[in-house]
Amino acid sequence: MAMLSISGLSVSFGGKRAVDDFNLEVGAGSLVGLIGPNGAGKTTTIDAITGFVPSQGAVDFDGTDISGLSSTMRARAGLGRTWQSSELFDDLTVMENLQVASERVDVRGFLRDLFRPRNDDVSELTKILDSLDLAGSADALPTDLSHGQRKLVGVARALAAQPKVLCMDEPAAGLDTVESQALGRRIRSLVDGGLSVLLIDHDMGLVLTICDYLYVLDFGQLIAEGTPAQIRADSKVITAYLGERHSDDHGDEHGVDTAVPAAPGGTPAVGGTTDG
Amino acid sequence: MNASSLRSWFTPKRIPAVVAGILGVVVIGVILANSDQTQAIVLGLGGGALIAAIALSITLNYQGSGVVNFAAGAIAMYGGYVYYGLRVNGQLFLPPIPNPLAPIEGIAHLAGAASFSLPHIPVFITLAHPSQGTAAFGTFIQQPAMPVWAALLISVMVLAVMGLAFHFLIFRPLRRAPVLAKVVASVGLFIVMQAVIVLRFTSSAKSVEPILPTKPIRMPRGVSLPSDQMYLVLIVIAVTIGLWALFRFTRFGLATRAASENEKGALVLGYSPDFLAGVNWVASTVLAGCFGILAAPINQSIDPITITLLIVPALAAALLARFSSFVVTLAAGLGIGMLTSWIQLVSNKSWFPKANGSAIPGLADALPFVIIIVVLVLRGKSLPTRGSIETIKLPFAPRSKGSFPTTMILGIATIGLLFLVTPNWRLAIVNSLVGMVICLSLVVLTGYVGQISLMQMALAGISGFTLSKVADAHHIPFPIGPLLGAVVAVIVGLLAGVPALRVRGVNLAVVTFAAAVTIENLVFANPAWSGLQGASVRSPSLFGFRFGPNDAWTKPFGGGKGLLPNPWFGVFCVVVVMVLVLAVVNIRRSRIGRHMLAVRSNERAAAAAGVSVSGTKVLAFGVAAFIAGIGGALSGYRFGSVTAGYFGAIPSMIFLAYAYLGGISSVSGAMVGGIIVAGGILTTIFTNWLHISEQYTLLLAGIGLIIMAIQNPKGVAGAIRDGVHLVQRRRASTSDVSDSAIPEPVEATV
Repeated sequence: MAMLSISGLSVSFGGKRAVDDFNLEVGAGSLVGLIGPNGAGKTTTIDAITGFVPSQGAVDFDGTDISGLSSTMRARAGLGRTWQSSELFDDLTVMENLQVASERVDVRGFLRDLFRPRNDDVSELTKILDSLDLAGSADALPTDLSHGQRKLVGVARALAAQPKVLCMDEPAAGLDTVESQALGRRIRSLVDGGLSVLLIDHDMGLVLTICDYLYVLDFGQLIAEGTPAQIRADSKVITAYLGERHSDDHGDEHGVDTAVPAAPGGTPAVGGTTDG
Repeated sequence: MNASSLRSWFTPKRIPAVVAGILGVVVIGVILANSDQTQAIVLGLGGGALIAAIALSITLNYQGSGVVNFAAGAIAMYGGYVYYGLRVNGQLFLPPIPNPLAPIEGIAHLAGAASFSLPHIPVFITLAHPSQGTAAFGTFIQQPAMPVWAALLISVMVLAVMGLAFHFLIFRPLRRAPVLAKVVASVGLFIVMQAVIVLRFTSSAKSVEPILPTKPIRMPRGVSLPSDQMYLVLIVIAVTIGLWALFRFTRFGLATRAASENEKGALVLGYSPDFLAGVNWVASTVLAGCFGILAAPINQSIDPITITLLIVPALAAALLARFSSFVVTLAAGLGIGMLTSWIQLVSNKSWFPKANGSAIPGLADALPFVIIIVVLVLRGKSLPTRGSIETIKLPFAPRSKGSFPTTMILGIATIGLLFLVTPNWRLAIVNSLVGMVICLSLVVLTGYVGQISLMQMALAGISGFTLSKVADAHHIPFPIGPLLGAVVAVIVGLLAGVPALRVRGVNLAVVTFAAAVTIENLVFANPAWSGLQGASVRSPSLFGFRFGPNDAWTKPFGGGKGLLPNPWFGVFCVVVVMVLVLAVVNIRRSRIGRHMLAVRSNERAAAAAGVSVSGTKVLAFGVAAFIAGIGGALSGYRFGSVTAGYFGAIPSMIFLAYAYLGGISSVSGAMVGGIIVAGGILTTIFTNWLHISEQYTLLLAGIGLIIMAIQNPKGVAGAIRDGVHLVQRRRASTSDVSDSAIPEPVEATV
């Protein structure tokens, strides 16, 4: 069963089609990757799914069409997201960042808080921080954390809202290989725990290793979809990534390669084995 | 054409065209209707030219340095006074320069030494002496001291120097500063210029003689226009064409346009963005100032307020032109001027809305507000778009610990003081307490949620007037009266705040300032409410115990009548402040406070975390309006009356200054803000101990505001907090401000 399915999704910016008639499905408890070169429309797709850019087409979430809802309502329905650049609340501590996502405000509670503020229970949030090795940073300000830790706080904040589907926008960008692999294992274990994830990342090693299914965008168009094994072999994907000009220059960040090493450092190689 | 196709046609880009079209149709229709209305519209040209010139100056500033200059009207007014001083008295007045010797005199006086005089810095530089000519019938008429050309030339030079000073002293240090800091600095500049003029020339109007020839020009249909207005229009058109050509065809203009998009753009063209900003500051200051000089004679007089407040229609015109097109700015400025003049004429017609038999004043002034609201709301988005970096970096909002015992101790100590000190200090404490309430409302709205409001005093006034005109008039008893006032303030605050949900940053400051001007003109100056004399407020009483500041009281120990003001009113204020302080502290410590700070720090991320951004802002507008409303009721009781001058646009600006100076994002900052308000504890120290005139309070507040905007966004309270941290922990503050140096408290700087 699909937790999230979009059909005919199109986004235009001033006449330019950033995403064109895109269909995508994220099954319950699966990890779906969305990849493509810079400017392919990946972040725009997540923005459209989560309601941050106006779009055309249907967005079905957990059986209902949410395309008319505001981004706040989509988040409350259980559609979480993380941001490319973390976008943490720099004025709040790490724990407060998580609390914002997990707590709702209503007028009665607000009036009561004016006179006797509740001591909100943070034990669940502590568990989330623990699971991401952030336990010691609960009272730190985001500006005092390293880049990698900030990315993790972004993930923790999204998890604090207890989403059913989590859209992750380049969670591994800026992380070193070790951090990136550790993050991959965590994402995989979240999915194994029942969460559905739509993952954008440039780290091909990561995406091809942990995802169950992949969509490849280029210039807003779907150019390929399939299991990691199928994507590895797809000639259109290789051309889109490497292009003609760069055919002898594939040591860079886009270093996709037919010979992507499988499962480095003991990461379970789930990729190619699952059936789409 | 159905609704959706209309909506897709009506894009934000078309708004200027649509509004200009509507204005055009109205104007043409009226011209065709009859000639006295045509006459009124034509007579609006002169005012329109001045509005257009101020709007052009705003646009130049924005293009050159990204600053929306709230002080552009004040600069025009200042220019008018520079010329006036030179032409009439032959004197160039100097802004008050702090005399380092003044405190010595004060301290010597305090120590009981005989008053002696140390050298003073001159107030005027006399360049020419007025000659006394004898006119007919033996009356002496003072001849102008200086020929027009000389006075104009020197004025232009002074304005150019001022422009350079603004650039180098204020806005260059702020070029990478957050929006709020730039707004605050320009508000500070506004306050300083106004305060300087009031200090040097008093606030009463001075009559001015015409500069341009004033022969009436006959036009068709019996319409005529004084030639000076025609010249003004021609000059502003010439300036607009000149600016247009400069920006269109020269490398300088191209570089400025490039720099307004991206500083590197200018560097590529071989210009330093800094140089461009400086040149544009000089040009805009000279432009606004010269038109202040040339346009003042239309009203035959100059005063510190009228031209200054033209900033509102000028901002409306500049907004219509998106701070970029000079030609649209010109058209919008002239159009607003003409429409305003027309509304003033038709307000004499029988069909015009009336209040107590006379036409409702202020509807003409409401026009720019309507334009601003329509333009900004239609163009706005309820969430900022990706890539639009409209960040408002505000000082860190600390979570207070142990605030309950602290509040109790301070509250009880203040109550004790109220009974011990002499009446003038008692009054100072009461004034500070009332100020603290207004500052607290800004802490919630601006400090916690990042929404700049320049209308809090206007909301306070709404509550005060409700207390006087509704509650007192219907014999509604004490605790309900002020609460009713606060509720009405909430309603008005939400009416102004809800459209503002789609507006953020500096534009919100524009909207709220325009709202304050409109409320002031439409409500406070409305004869049905008060007129200019004000409306009385009955002193509060509970169970027959009257505790207004002017109610007689008996000393609790020893008996006997005490001197006024009644300290029990102070006790009441202390209790109100304590309740509000604890409530605002609790806001910060609870869920809503975290949501508010999340919205303040990143609206998109807040929405993605399930926070209702609009709901949070509405709540903040409501809470802040309620607190301001309580403050308005308190000041009504404090003075026994409410007046239009005490509330309204400029006081709202000044209170933002106090709150920012104290520390806008913390409750302790609001306490400091209350201490420094005019008539409060600090000014009483100045006047009683240091013998610095109270008139200087505003000037010091304005200067302090500018320094604070540049140096230390955390305010005095934040600086003290940092100092304590530094001493206690010997480690750098954990705040968001990256600079390592802890700036010294502002008391040391002024």
